[in-house]
Amino acid sequence: MANAASGMAVHDDCKLKFLELKAKRTYRFIVFKIEEKQKQVVVEKLGEPSQSYDDFTASLPADECRYAVYDFDFVTAENCQKSRIFFIAWSPDTSRVRSKMIYASSKDRFKRELDGIQVELQATDPTEMGLDVIRSRAN
Amino acid sequence: MASLIETYACAPSTERGRGILISGDPKTNSILYCNARSVFIRYLDRPLHIAVYGDHSYPVTVARYSPNGEWIASADVSGIIRIWGTHNDFVLKNEFKVLSGRIDDLQWSPDGLRIVACGDGKGKSFVRAFMWDSGSTVGDFDGHSKRVLSCHFKPTRPFRIASCGEDFLVNFYEGPPFKFKLSHREHSNFVNCIRFSPDGSKLISVSSDKKGIIYDAKTGDTMGQLSSEDGHTGSIYAVSWSGDGKHVLTVSADKTAKIWEIFEDGTGKVSKTLECSGSGGVEDMLVGCLWQNGHLITVSLSGTINLYSASDPDKQPLCLSGHMKNVNTLTLIESNEKIILSSSFDGSILRWTPGTGHSGKLQRKDSSQIKCLVATKEEIMTSGYDNKVWRISLDQDKAGEAEHIDVGSQPKDLSQAINSPDLALVSLDSGVVLLKDMQILSNINLGFSVTASVIAPDGSEAIVGGQDGKLHIYSVSGDSLTEEATLEKHRGPISVIRYSPDFSMFASADLNREAVVWDRTSKEVKLNNMLFHTARINCLAWSPNSTMVATGSLDTCVIIYEVGKPASSRITVKNAHPGGVYGLVFIDACNVASSGEDACIRVWKIVQQ
Repeated sequence: MANAASGMAVHDDCKLKFLELKAKRTYRFIVFKIEEKQKQVVVEKLGEPSQSYDDFTASLPADECRYAVYDFDFVTAENCQKSRIFFIAWSPDTSRVRSKMIYASSKDRFKRELDGIQVELQATDPTEMGLDVIRSRAN
Repeated sequence: MASLIETYACAPSTERGRGILISGDPKTNSILYCNARSVFIRYLDRPLHIAVYGDHSYPVTVARYSPNGEWIASADVSGIIRIWGTHNDFVLKNEFKVLSGRIDDLQWSPDGLRIVACGDGKGKSFVRAFMWDSGSTVGDFDGHSKRVLSCHFKPTRPFRIASCGEDFLVNFYEGPPFKFKLSHREHSNFVNCIRFSPDGSKLISVSSDKKGIIYDAKTGDTMGQLSSEDGHTGSIYAVSWSGDGKHVLTVSADKTAKIWEIFEDGTGKVSKTLECSGSGGVEDMLVGCLWQNGHLITVSLSGTINLYSASDPDKQPLCLSGHMKNVNTLTLIESNEKIILSSSFDGSILRWTPGTGHSGKLQRKDSSQIKCLVATKEEIMTSGYDNKVWRISLDQDKAGEAEHIDVGSQPKDLSQAINSPDLALVSLDSGVVLLKDMQILSNINLGFSVTASVIAPDGSEAIVGGQDGKLHIYSVSGDSLTEEATLEKHRGPISVIRYSPDFSMFASADLNREAVVWDRTSKEVKLNNMLFHTARINCLAWSPNSTMVATGSLDTCVIIYEVGKPASSRITVKNAHPGGVYGLVFIDACNVASSGEDACIRVWKIVQQ
């Protein structure tokens, strides 16, 4: 059995979809899930560029952990349009301890596979990934 | 957005057996006093606006304006003096550790360049004088062997410093650089206060031996005494000169303040005695005084500030009162006008009128401590730290008959059915007690550890919250409770539950920083994710139209949510009360009053975006 501490295998699809988000901006967000039986990180959901931050928060389950990547667009003080790629480790307090442990120990290896993440954020309840928190981290 | 519109200030913190020092600035007509770790600047012509300086880490003992009015020096019990600007957001100029113990008095030199501080030096120096900007010492102050209670700079040249203390000595230093000149041992008890007259000709010292002695300011020789006929019959705690140097005001533990006329030869005669206007108990002992412009200000042990007019001392004084300790409950009574009742755990209940401020202290026949308080127009019910629940009938500002009942163990929470006020629910550690008309209707053991409870306005339903975070809903019939439902969502002990005024919803908050709004009939969650506090939630209030919920927490913030909108569009008031917010009540649809650990009550106006 693969040791959870050394990280789960990452499905190739995850890397491909992330590169598409980064280069071609085909998705607004990607939600990843760890499939324990296959011992892999797989893509669970993809978000259209037209979807908003609220659609993204709605797609995260309230009592299960997930990894997510979100492409956040904002306007800076000097009126420039900028965007930041956020990696969000969603670990709600209400999820099971085993789930939190597996996601926490595999996070580092998974992040290294995705090259180009600009900001990382861990959220344990919806208030910690509120829009104001994202905006303050973007600058 | 919420903006502060009114502050009901706290009272100066007092200690029995010691005087306190209040100071002021004649130019801006303000007085300075300290409570806990904050310095309060109160403007006598604008009583609802006070400025608070809260940057000390230890309780503050004394604060004084510099002679030019630009800086304030404040000292605390750890021996640190902070010098900060009056305008410009209280920017800190300097901070010095002056003594190794508590600082009791602090004075600026008349030119504003030197500061002398005295206090408890723990065996080493008791008095120190230093330059205000560099902190370098300007003199050697030997001569005292015990705590030095007061010191003063002579206001005219040649400069002298006089100090007095618990070793019964009055010391005189010449300088700068200041050196010991002579000392007097005329007093037979602690010398509490020493002051030079504004024209620099005389010096007066007052003591716990009920005497006041007058000295010549230039040489330090004794000149005379305050005459003992008609003198004080208790320790004299403080003295203040009038602006012209012809009169002094003294306050004493015999609950009177006396105005003395000082003659050229150094003797004094009583010209007026100001009797106390209170009930005459221990709390009316006067501990501080100030003579400023045309006002005579005295402070009593209970923290009440009395303002007399110097030209007409017989007129009834204006009494400003406030809480001295944590204000842990706030309720609103709507009789012919809205009145806020605030109570503190030391048993004091004060009334406030929004818009005008302090409107009286509730005189109670016995002042037991108060932990929970509920009020209707005609009566209030309180519970404290013993096993009793009290009911006191209200008659304007006088407490009427008080009756009490023993409920068996310490009440954790108290709630009254608003529409039938003789029905009350008291929650104890193991269950609840239903009270009807101050008689125990039934004592029900619920089997779990109860932390909060509430009874519906018509008395038909009760919700009890437990240590495990579960909310139990009971229907009340006669003297028994039948369990209807159990709601599990909270992840910590429940701290407060409140029904909305229209009775369609209720809100609960727990010690794990979360609040939830539920629909009463369907028991569904109406608003969740109210997790924006960072520490336990202490109190909760509904707006009168049931659209907004405000929560106050130990993290000093007040957050106002709207039930129709998602929790993230909230209005946060940060740092509402340093130390934590303990009481909250909505005055009307857009004004909230909050109270907290700093003994102040603030009113905020909510502006919808």
